[in-house]
Amino acid sequence: MSSPESRSNRNFVTTKTARVLSEAAGLLRAPQRVIPLFSKLASDELRRTFEHRHLYSYVSATIPTANALRSVVDWILRAQRPDGGIAAYYGLLTGYSESYPEVTGYIIPTLYDFGRLTGDLVARHAAYLATDWLLSLQMPSGAFPGGLHASDGGPDNNARPSVFNTGQILQGLVRAHTEMQAKTRNAKILKSAVAAGDWLAAIQQADGSWTGPAAYQGTAHTYYSMVSWALAQLAAESGDPRHAAAADRNIDWVLLHVQPSGWIGGINLRGHPAYLHFIAYVIQGTLECGILRRRDDAIQAAAKPAWVLLRKFETHKRLLGTYEPDFRGGQQFACLTGNAQMSSIWLRLFELTGDPRYLNAALKMNEMLKQLLPVKGRRGVVGGVAGSYPIWGAYQPMRFISWGCKFLADALMLEQRLTREFETKFETKFITKLEASGCA
Amino acid sequence: MRVAILCSSPYSETGCAVTARLAQLGYVPVGAMTLPSWDRRTLLRKVGQWGLRDSLQYAVAKLSPGKSTIQNQIRNPYLESALRHGDGVFRSVREVARAYGFPVVTCSDQNSPRAVAQLGQWSPDLAIFTGGNILRDQALNVPRLGILNAHLALVPEIRGMSGPEWSLLCGVPLGITIHFMDSGIDTGPILLRREFAGADGCDSLADVRNKMIAEGIELIAEAVAGLDRGTIPAVPQADREKDRQFFVTHEQLQAVAARRLKENQSNPVGDRSNG
Repeated sequence: MSSPESRSNRNFVTTKTARVLSEAAGLLRAPQRVIPLFSKLASDELRRTFEHRHLYSYVSATIPTANALRSVVDWILRAQRPDGGIAAYYGLLTGYSESYPEVTGYIIPTLYDFGRLTGDLVARHAAYLATDWLLSLQMPSGAFPGGLHASDGGPDNNARPSVFNTGQILQGLVRAHTEMQAKTRNAKILKSAVAAGDWLAAIQQADGSWTGPAAYQGTAHTYYSMVSWALAQLAAESGDPRHAAAADRNIDWVLLHVQPSGWIGGINLRGHPAYLHFIAYVIQGTLECGILRRRDDAIQAAAKPAWVLLRKFETHKRLLGTYEPDFRGGQQFACLTGNAQMSSIWLRLFELTGDPRYLNAALKMNEMLKQLLPVKGRRGVVGGVAGSYPIWGAYQPMRFISWGCKFLADALMLEQRLTREFETKFETKFITKLEASGCA
Repeated sequence: MRVAILCSSPYSETGCAVTARLAQLGYVPVGAMTLPSWDRRTLLRKVGQWGLRDSLQYAVAKLSPGKSTIQNQIRNPYLESALRHGDGVFRSVREVARAYGFPVVTCSDQNSPRAVAQLGQWSPDLAIFTGGNILRDQALNVPRLGILNAHLALVPEIRGMSGPEWSLLCGVPLGITIHFMDSGIDTGPILLRREFAGADGCDSLADVRNKMIAEGIELIAEAVAGLDRGTIPAVPQADREKDRQFFVTHEQLQAVAARRLKENQSNPVGDRSNG
């Protein structure tokens, strides 16, 4: 009889094999994809050869931030399916995926932010459609389903409620609620958001974690701090103390995993390593929830690993795609989504502490990410953020992913706002602030 | 006082000027150790720092010195007095070495066993670091007194890279610190710490930096003489553990720093002490 661990590993291998076969079949179905595929493989190989291991070298910006932002948001808009959901990815071998409820949810705030920044009505309309689609997916319990949406658009009887996806979708619902003018629709969105929040609070464990069948791999994960962030956002809107308490309880549990090195353990992913994307999730959720709930302990717990990663980035000119506990070594590819998330985290910490070193690192990171955006190619390629650099790296290989575009768009919008403030009115009370923030 | 020089390249202008200045003052080095002049990383760094056109012009000027004026051969005009030698200028540490008679050794890594052994053979009392690798204990421990570094900012406020830029961005006065190196980044005991008052006449950040480098060389000379006479104490940094390391500024922040420089110049009595 095999152990759960070995069963899980076997399942992982089977899934991986199935994915490789499906991707290969995708290329057979659409052989014209071979040109962009080889073009991307060749360009990444060339870049790697000339720039060695450094992504951020001494190259000046070739794409202005506003243009890069437009380009990644356009990628997201093109990835919106007729049902209103947004595809998870564009595979170089398989084309667009089905709509992905989780990502559709947390892309909504990005679309509204972009709409506000640029006055773009198309982005606002896309957010509206995405919200409608998500409302149609909610389960009677208030939960939202995990995984990709069924390709035929019909109800997916195999769909299972997912804590993480519900949390991520909740972010979108809360934002849609704050943006919506029409009272009837607004009440509908809030009702849906509260139902999702109630479900999350109801199935939370006494220790503040989420485990069981609605948790990924059935176990608790610290990157569910993103769920706490969503609950804290909901609490600010609904005023319901149960949602705030659930957010606080989970953050308390996350803080139990903080190591002296700054590493926050408990990512608990069986079968694959701790990608930077998940590490950044832990940090981002803890930080944002800490800000909303005015919890200095959470902010400090997030600031420490963010600082460790900043030093690594500045010293080595890149971040690894994965890290072992306590930030010991990892895999050599770059997880671009994680990089974009770290940029946003550094920018938020700059906003919070006034320490311009965070801004400096984020500017460099964004520069590197902008340089990697394809400026030509098919609609699923141009302006897209690849899962990995090089494209054959371990995280979402051969794919341009919608959440990578979302996090880069967030980072670029934050960069624009904060650099404008820094250049015009920001008075750096640096040393004093640094002492106060405890970073020094 | 037996002094050794550590340079990032035989053609490092700062390294060359420090070496020449010390030799002029009677502190002829016992040896100079440089990294190779043309490896791919150095080349990329130079192109990145100066741009392709400037790098090519510089290379052409080096290869055809007869056709260039002295001013054209010197990138940092404030180093002219240190680099001037008869009718010409020193263009490399090797030329200084030929003029004053000391050896120059090239190594790929200043921490390598070969480099450390060579440094040990010279048995210096003091070494001057003008660029190269981040030095490890095996190299740091060789000179009897230690290895000196001129840092272009006030320490401990601003450690690490892009000192003048960060000073401006953080509202810390521009300054230069001469300190012994230890295993941290600019955390070693301080010999001299001076505010820099020469920025007002400068038209750009690059100009400020050049002027600070020249002043830093004079401060190194002052520190070497002071150590020789035993008149300068080395004061350990009280907050050595505090993380005040700064990194290379992004060009967007460099532009902000340049604007702050202009603002400070047009408002010299304004409040610059917001740090």
